Amino acid sequence: MRLWARAVYLSAVQLGLLSASLQAAPLNGEQLYDVACNACHSLGTAPDRRVGPALSGLLNRQAGTIDGYQFSEALSASGWIWRLPTLLAWLTDPDAAIPNNAMNYVNPLTAEETQRLSEWLLRQP
Amino acid sequence: MVVVGAGLSGLNAALILERWGFEVDVVEAKTRVGGRLWTLDHLPGSPEGGGNVMGAQYGRVVHMAHHLDIALRTPPRTLPSDYLIGDERISRDSWASAAANPLPEAWRTIPPQRLMGKLNETNPLLKTRAWHDPNLMASDQSAEVGLKALGFPNAAIELINANNSYGNNLSDTSLMALYRIMGEFGRLSGPALAVQEAILGNMRLPEAMAKQLSRPVSLGEPVVAIRHSPSRVQVALASGKTLEADAAILALPLPALEQIEINLSAAQTTLLKQIDYHKVVQLHCIVEAPFWEAAGWSGSWWTDGLLGRIFTRPIPNTSRYNMTVWINGDHCDPLNALDEAACTQTITQALWQLVPEARDVTSVGQLVRWSIDPYAGGVWALWRPGQAGTAHGAIRAPTGRLFFAGEHTAEAYRGMEGAMESGERAALEIMRVLA
Ligand SMILES: Cc1cc2nc3c(=O)[nH]c(=O)nc-3n(C[C@H](O)[C@H](O)[C@H](O)COP(=O)(O)OP(=O)(O)OC[C@H]3O[C@@H](n4cnc5c(N)ncnc54)[C@H](O)[C@@H]3O)c2cc1C
Ligand code: HEC
Repeated sequence: MRLWARAVYLSAVQLGLLSASLQAAPLNGEQLYDVACNACHSLGTAPDRRVGPALSGLLNRQAGTIDGYQFSEALSASGWIWRLPTLLAWLTDPDAAIPNNAMNYVNPLTAEETQRLSEWLLRQP
Repeated sequence: MVVVGAGLSGLNAALILERWGFEVDVVEAKTRVGGRLWTLDHLPGSPEGGGNVMGAQYGRVVHMAHHLDIALRTPPRTLPSDYLIGDERISRDSWASAAANPLPEAWRTIPPQRLMGKLNETNPLLKTRAWHDPNLMASDQSAEVGLKALGFPNAAIELINANNSYGNNLSDTSLMALYRIMGEFGRLSGPALAVQEAILGNMRLPEAMAKQLSRPVSLGEPVVAIRHSPSRVQVALASGKTLEADAAILALPLPALEQIEINLSAAQTTLLKQIDYHKVVQLHCIVEAPFWEAAGWSGSWWTDGLLGRIFTRPIPNTSRYNMTVWINGDHCDPLNALDEAACTQTITQALWQLVPEARDVTSVGQLVRWSIDPYAGGVWALWRPGQAGTAHGAIRAPTGRLFFAGEHTAEAYRGMEGAMESGERAALEIMRVLA
């Protein structure tokens, strides 16, 4: 999480600006990524010990190709290029998109959230 | 926010919500955190009374462990297992040819613990993880009926029922739920099959998670009633205190939730009574010397009798062993009806009868009975015939300001990783409406 985001957020809480109304602002890409992806994927560059590959610089990257990560055969052989339509298809239903993949993930996000998250993710360096 | 239950699911939800600025109180009935992770620290070798192994695919669990400096290792190898069918002893290499092997010709080479794996020859969930897909619901039927229709011989069904970790009995378990579990195993191969455990005990993980919270978990505070209106939640504790919150996450197993006075949706109220939990009785023993060697046994056993399975593994850097008698499903009923001393005695008598030499070198450490633990009520949720389709979605659907987490609400995983996954989903649901 970026520090500024947290600082802004906490001060909002401290100022009591968050009311308990049940109409919150839509969750932003960073929040969605933190809750739904971050445990399995980093946005770093060095190989880490997470179970999924790093997702930094994803835009226009060919699926299943970064060094130092052992992908499933299905993903490496898919020929997919990560752009908005492919990422949306992948996240919405990974098994339909690339059968026999190794991402054990059932999408908990709404279609709008998936879109917002994907747009955000594809902007990350 | 109030989170009820300091197991992996509740703690993970609490950590996420804190990270995004919520004030979170976690209340826990027991005097320890961890719930169904329970390391028996008072015994040599610190055996696990609850969750044992972390799968290699457990992204959330393993990441959390690394993040909190919980060291993991490949578990010490469990000794190989021989068989005991009725009173007949079968050594591990002679299952296929043994006279006591009850299976018909074409099935004889399959050892009892592999029989369920035959399901993967027809498993629709090898290609998809959509275990609620309406198109597949013909398989949401009694597993016993389903297995027979698939050609499983009666003897195979009986052997599966003897030590089935995924159903109290096959007739009352959905075949679809078994497909889900076997599909998960079937997809794994190579390094993905490796499992890990925390060197100092799996309970160190929830303990370390709890320490990350800015407010300490309230321990020894069972929740007895929850009232909720469109604007508030009130959580009443057995101690007489009441907590007020904007929302609550109920991160506890269903039999424990059932004890709480609470208004849920009609569908949830019905399901609370119907969803079954798997039964396990364990007797954890400490063995001073490998008594099995003189008698020519391998050290672990698979039995179709009272003892269920016996898992023995060396305690690293010592000459001792942890030995766990592990009894599953409806076979636990007579044992759960006994008091602790009588239950322990019944199991040890059967053990001494199996190997009299064990008696001199084996001491009893801890009896673990999850079904009669009021804050667990079983080891994990089971899905009855007809429940694979919609029960799972209905039981976790947010109800007003109440949200649901826990292993039983997870979608892609089960067990520890399922608990972590469910905490993420519940946190997300709250953030959607309150962030
Ligand atoms: C014997 C056994 C073996 C297992 N083996 C494995 C394995 O090898 N691999 C694996 O991945 N998983 C395994 N599991 C499953 C795994 O341990 C669980 O799925 C996971 O720990 C469940 O976490 P949870 O947060 O959903 O629930 P829990 O850990 O049960 O947490 C719920 C919490 O709520 C508390 N609570 C209950 N009632 C109240 C109340 N009224 N008020 C306040 N608090 C309350 C409980 O005390 C508990 O702490 C095993 C479980 C058992 C029991
Ligand atoms: C439980 C762990 C887990 C979670 C949660 C998870 N993933 Fe994955 N992800 C994986 C694994 C494992 C792979 C590798 C799949 C393979 O090799 O088939 C993967 C692969 C990917 C890839 C392909 C990367 C490449 O280099 O080709 C993308 C993109 C991706 N995930 C995005 C996401 C996003 C976005 C989220 C959150 C909405 C997410 N994942 C959540 C485990 C996870």
